[in-house]
Amino acid sequence: MKTFLNATPSSAHPASPVNLSRRHFLGASAVFGASAVLVLGVSLPAASSSIRRVYQPNLFIGLDTSGRVLVTAHRSEMGQGVRTALAQIVADELDADWAQVQVWQAPGDAKYGDQNTDGSRSILQNYDRLRTAGATVRLMLRQAAAARWQVPLDDVQAVNHEVVHTASGKRLGYGAFAADAAALPVPANAPLKDTAAHRFIGKAVPHVDAADIVLGYAEFGADVRLPGMATAVVVRCPWLGGGVKRIGNKPDEAPGLVAIEILDPAPSAGPVFTPLGGVAVVAEDTFTALRIAQGLDIEWTDSPNRAFDSDALRAALREALARPGAKVPGAERGDVDAVFQAGQGATLSATYETPFLAHAPMEPPVAVADASVAKKRCVVWAPLQDPQSARGLIAERLGLPLENVTVWPTLLGGAFGRKSKPDFALEAVELSNRIGRPVRVQWSREDDIRHDYLHAASAQLHRAVIDEDGLPQAWLQRTAFPSITTVFSAQASAPAPWELEMGFSNLPYQVPNRRMESAGIRAGARIGWLRSVCNIFHAFSANVFADEMAAAAGRDPIEHRLAMLPKGGTLTVPGMQPPPGHALDIGRFRHVIERVRKLSAWDRPRPKGTGLGFAVHHSFRSYVAVVVEASMVGGRPTVSNASVVLDCGTYINPDTCRAQMEGAVVFGLSLALHGDIALRDGAVVQSNFHDYPLLRMADAPPTAVELVPAQGRLPAGVGEPGVPPVAPALVNALFAATGERHRRLPIRV
Amino acid sequence: MAIELNVNGEVKAADVPGDTPLLWVLRDHLALTGTKYGCGGGYCGACTVHVDGSPTRSCQLPVATLAGKQIATIEALEERHPELLQVWVEDNVAQCGYCQAGQLMSAEALLDADGALTDAAIDAAMSGNLCRCGTYGRIRAAIHKAAALRAGA
Repeated sequence: MKTFLNATPSSAHPASPVNLSRRHFLGASAVFGASAVLVLGVSLPAASSSIRRVYQPNLFIGLDTSGRVLVTAHRSEMGQGVRTALAQIVADELDADWAQVQVWQAPGDAKYGDQNTDGSRSILQNYDRLRTAGATVRLMLRQAAAARWQVPLDDVQAVNHEVVHTASGKRLGYGAFAADAAALPVPANAPLKDTAAHRFIGKAVPHVDAADIVLGYAEFGADVRLPGMATAVVVRCPWLGGGVKRIGNKPDEAPGLVAIEILDPAPSAGPVFTPLGGVAVVAEDTFTALRIAQGLDIEWTDSPNRAFDSDALRAALREALARPGAKVPGAERGDVDAVFQAGQGATLSATYETPFLAHAPMEPPVAVADASVAKKRCVVWAPLQDPQSARGLIAERLGLPLENVTVWPTLLGGAFGRKSKPDFALEAVELSNRIGRPVRVQWSREDDIRHDYLHAASAQLHRAVIDEDGLPQAWLQRTAFPSITTVFSAQASAPAPWELEMGFSNLPYQVPNRRMESAGIRAGARIGWLRSVCNIFHAFSANVFADEMAAAAGRDPIEHRLAMLPKGGTLTVPGMQPPPGHALDIGRFRHVIERVRKLSAWDRPRPKGTGLGFAVHHSFRSYVAVVVEASMVGGRPTVSNASVVLDCGTYINPDTCRAQMEGAVVFGLSLALHGDIALRDGAVVQSNFHDYPLLRMADAPPTAVELVPAQGRLPAGVGEPGVPPVAPALVNALFAATGERHRRLPIRV
Repeated sequence: MAIELNVNGEVKAADVPGDTPLLWVLRDHLALTGTKYGCGGGYCGACTVHVDGSPTRSCQLPVATLAGKQIATIEALEERHPELLQVWVEDNVAQCGYCQAGQLMSAEALLDADGALTDAAIDAAMSGNLCRCGTYGRIRAAIHKAAALRAGA
């Protein structure tokens, strides 16, 4: 059995070739001693028989006497490169040798602070504290050396994993001072480096898990195997809130069958993260569980959601847009109605629609639990975005004290918001406790598509009176969608302010008369957050409508957009994310537009039938502008290339930022061209990749990415903000290519 | 029933019904978890292995059909094509990494095949492998680079 769960060694130094033997280094379990190894349920590697003393002056850095540095990753890795980025920050201020840095994945524990890997804010929330952590250890190593060598502190430097006293020529590796430093009090106010002196921050470094991934050793949630473990597949009710009425053909026994367990249904409204319930088939292996589960004939109890239909929801959303909604407080300017009634200038009005979407991470939900209320103990391994909240929910469910529950996040095989919701881990906990063995719950792809926390379907109305330059003199915006808050409350229906702050109430355009209204509606399904959340539909409608204004006035879309913006200044944006609130900088917004015009060679004429489309959006404190070049080939929309400019403030790993923008283009095109979840009689119609397709390689365009140098500014989001401008850029490109305007996603031709 | 399989040059035995897909035998019975489950329907390619050198969806392959055949998985790719792993790491191809074993196995088959390595040929050979993170552009570039490395360019 592989022993590297939660203890994956880092990859080789960026400058050296892949050193595949590195993975045989000892991991955190060995360094931190036998207790961690026992928790992992694996045997102690032979080479670790002498466990060295580990100096851990703070939560985030360990140093042993051999000089190995162990960085704690307390955020979950789902492909956004956070484990690497956190290590880069620490290693830089510590002035460590990258080849001696390893990353250890922390379990869910409040002592690390917020671990919710969500909202594109891991770097924003941790940049300063991890710099300080690294700098503090570096100072302590200098202090230890100064004391041992009897020289002034100022004459001792710590550089590239060595402490150096230049005058005497003394130099020793960091490990030589690990024990001495451990005895020192932790100093305050350790000096930080000048950003110009950074060696890892702002530099491309291969991801620490890259070698394990290509070797097939990386441990995802799906890969955890425990001695004595059984595997469960759960058949869930097609509609939310239904329970098991009768199992028509329950087998008493079958080869490999361990148990068939009935799980209680979730509430039909406001289910939060309660598992959906159903019939769990627990077996000795996955295929046996899948086969028996597929053969079950189950009758379900009714629930009000059985009447839910996504076409009916679509009609209701359109109807909601036809009447005044709740005004966004403080957003109204002038008198929109008066301008509309005056009949001066051209009036444009358009309705935009987007469907439900499923997350469809390549790794379907999966979790392993070893839980026993009788033994007052529970350990969970799962691909979780928020192991801390999962730990609390598990403890509550089992009635155990928090400290008796351990939750280890594995690598996440994609997440996009789905794995913020720990319902699948709670299923494994429940089953393990019932049958008295470790249990792994494996969701099939069909389970994943049919029982997701869906990205909300939505509709927007935009109505404007424009002048001869296409600039809005009055602009009415309405949005309607089932709110994420409906999953947390059986009564809520209105969109929350933070949902409207995602690209609806915080548009930076100048308009003398403006009103924004929203309407909520409940859906008979669980609503969740998907990579960039409400920004997806708000950026879509606003960017396409702006393009329609430009087209109506016969103007170049980029010239027109720049004209819609103030020349400079800031727009104060209320914010859900700490630090609270921040200013949308008009200059930075304009800058990404100017840069994408250049990057895409916007002004170069394209062949007839090929169009360029532009969109720009500010979300998660970042600024992203996109240009897409598209045409119709064989009756299908075809994207020949994409250009993306990102300003995310201070960035840690520029190559990760580029990769996230490349991935955002693919994610955005997938939802623009394919993504569509429908529900009939309360049940999701689609089930797998044949009817919920994702973009494939042949349709993925070459993508040029430019990163705005903004070191020194507050770090902002990278994982999510690339997605919102992609779909509207494609729609605008197809309009430029064909004259046809697609106002409903996915694009239908 | 006891089934013997030749995996990565070693003979391994598993006691499973003959219609069990190779994927689940590898993952649950032979502790070779590098090969991933993605869809169970042959749509996504995450479970791609080689059978007698051909890229095959292991979720669709009953083990009873594999007697006498050579199965190759990601775990031994390093021995066959170290240059593929090298460029994959150097170019930071993977994001979450879950689909990459399948991507690499399809890429290996393409490198082993005759024919010009154009973008179109790569797209065609890789079209059965989904990546939700969107690493397609880097995969395309890495395959070109690996081919060049192999040719000694």
